[in-house]
Amino acid sequence: MNFKNRTYWLFLLPTLLALLLVLIIPFFQGVYYSFTEYDGFQVTSFVGFDNYIKLFSDDQFLYSLGFTAAFSAASVIGINVLGLSFALLVTQKLGKVSTLFRTIYFMPNLIGGIILGFIWQFVFLKAFTGIADVTGIEFFRGWLSDTETGFWGLVILFVWQMSGYIMVIYISFLNNVPKELLEAATIDGANKWQSFWKVKFPLIIPAFTVSLFLTLSNAFKVYDQNMALTNGGPFGSTEMATMNIYDTAFKVQDMGYAQSKAIVFLIIITLISVIQLYITRKKETEL
Amino acid sequence: MKFRLVFISFIMLASMSLIVACSSNESGDNGESSGQGDEVVVDLFNIKVETTDQLNNLIDIYESENENVKINVTTVGGGQDAPSALQAKFSSGEAPSIFLLGGLSDVEKYSEYLLDVSDMESAKTAIDGTLEGASMDGTPYGIPLNIEGYGWMINKDIFERAGVDPSTIDSYDKFVEAVETIDSQKEELGIDSVFAFSAKEDWVVSQFSSHFTAPEFGNDVKTAFESDELNFEYGERMKEYTDLFNQYNYQPILSLDYSTSVEELFANDRAAIIHQGNWIVPTLNSMDESFAQEKLGILPLFVSSDTEGKIVAGPSWYWGINKEKDEAVVEESKKFIDWMYTSDKGKELIVEDFKYVPSHEGYDTDSISDPVSAEVYQYLLDGKGKIWANNQYPDGFFSEALHPEFQKYLGEQQSWEEFEEATSNAFSEMR
Repeated sequence: MNFKNRTYWLFLLPTLLALLLVLIIPFFQGVYYSFTEYDGFQVTSFVGFDNYIKLFSDDQFLYSLGFTAAFSAASVIGINVLGLSFALLVTQKLGKVSTLFRTIYFMPNLIGGIILGFIWQFVFLKAFTGIADVTGIEFFRGWLSDTETGFWGLVILFVWQMSGYIMVIYISFLNNVPKELLEAATIDGANKWQSFWKVKFPLIIPAFTVSLFLTLSNAFKVYDQNMALTNGGPFGSTEMATMNIYDTAFKVQDMGYAQSKAIVFLIIITLISVIQLYITRKKETEL
Repeated sequence: MKFRLVFISFIMLASMSLIVACSSNESGDNGESSGQGDEVVVDLFNIKVETTDQLNNLIDIYESENENVKINVTTVGGGQDAPSALQAKFSSGEAPSIFLLGGLSDVEKYSEYLLDVSDMESAKTAIDGTLEGASMDGTPYGIPLNIEGYGWMINKDIFERAGVDPSTIDSYDKFVEAVETIDSQKEELGIDSVFAFSAKEDWVVSQFSSHFTAPEFGNDVKTAFESDELNFEYGERMKEYTDLFNQYNYQPILSLDYSTSVEELFANDRAAIIHQGNWIVPTLNSMDESFAQEKLGILPLFVSSDTEGKIVAGPSWYWGINKEKDEAVVEESKKFIDWMYTSDKGKELIVEDFKYVPSHEGYDTDSISDPVSAEVYQYLLDGKGKIWANNQYPDGFFSEALHPEFQKYLGEQQSWEEFEEATSNAFSEMR
């Protein structure tokens, strides 16, 4: 393709322009604001790196970063294990039933995060308490009222929402595993377990690249589920980084400082995603 | 080289057209509000979502009486988003003519736009002291929207069945006694717990704290706004109240939200006391008409003195008028607000339709339909109302510092002293 072709750039222009207006210009503006004292109304002073220095002694922000990382780790594992299991289940030859299951597993993904948050809030607060009242099992009591149940509540919600989506990705890769390889494995006497680990698994590694990338970056950026389910409570102990940034900007009205947090957060996400892509790419096997 | 030139000129052209589009939009707006001679357009920014219908109704009536005026309402509601939306309106050059101000920090923020309202009829009839919440250097910049009051909202029926007459509770000790009496008969009364304090909601905690911070600030809005420290002068009493309700509260207290507290426990006679204000009356009415009429009562808190109980009562929102608009628009805005609070029709709507506790004099107390609102009005007139000190806290203080720290205390994660210290530090830092 001739990159100097005039029409090439002409067709690209609308997208480039849109990106420039909504992404690139605001990004540089944001970098600028992170060096200032800004209340959303006017820039009152230029403070250099003060915001960034302050950030490293902000316990709540550092805590929220740690919490987000723990949440991401737990949910990435949960989503991928569950997503892959679902995919294996529905790629068995079960006829119409497997289509039904695919639909059911995918359904949570069609519901928005806020609504999901409220649904699960109802489940944890009302349904769980109901179960506890009836059965007397203390495990179901007091969910979301302490840090631990708040954390697992968020993980459960997010795993439930995302695993159906990740399942779809795994399904497409599993369907692409050549039949003759599986047949050959069977003839060689491999059982189901062996043919999964030795044949299917290495061939669907590219699916892990995609799925891990999607789940990791989505888990880090969770906001609406967090807001609707726990809203950071109790005592700010389930507050994720995004919520901390939002609150600094729109509740404390300290936009400059919030912006510097956002930039640090962006750098962290970028680094993690790049490292993850690099590692999983290396593991991919060519057929 | 050539393609680059074309590329650059395209971008130039596109951005030019954007700038043109923006500026033409602006001139269009001006033309609309001033150019058409007889019709004046007033933009009103409303935050009170719960009375949107009533406001629209009032505006329809006003417009039918004043045919040359057109009032456009924008309603944005719900907690923190409304102030941001208002700010966005100002930054984008679409400043409204009439808008709502929360506290002195809003007045300060919009001071260059705000009209001095001292010569308005509705400012003169405002109840003494209510203008202070929107005054800077003695000049009022806002008309109070209504009066809202809060304290312990009680279910009088449960009190009476337990053999406690709410009207005899005139000291802190008697209050504790009443709570213990009710608690001892939980089974017979069929209640889950005495209290249903919703510690999940940051604003409930913030309002609760106001009982104890208002006297520290000399019960003066301006002092509260200017104070750069919070010392918990009445922290001891606050701790006593906190321990009391935590002991007799529906558990887990930390995840008890507004709707469970009010709509499920309190409204269904499953809890006797909650910390709320008269704004729950419409909600209660929508569930059970008789509840607010027959069972609902309000009890004060005994803070600065053991025997004199006070509630918090005062205006929480103010109407501000944008003086930067055309003279005709400003005039019509003033007329509209005056009409709303001083004309007979306006007064009638405020009390009977909006069901507000009026913030202005010259209203018939009997026309306030529910007993609690009338009680709140009476407290205020008797000088037993405290200011909404929580409205003058630094931005974000209650949600980012006070509420989490308070929850830590409730959840036994820290001692009361640590709570006071952490909260005081945050207060000074955020101011």
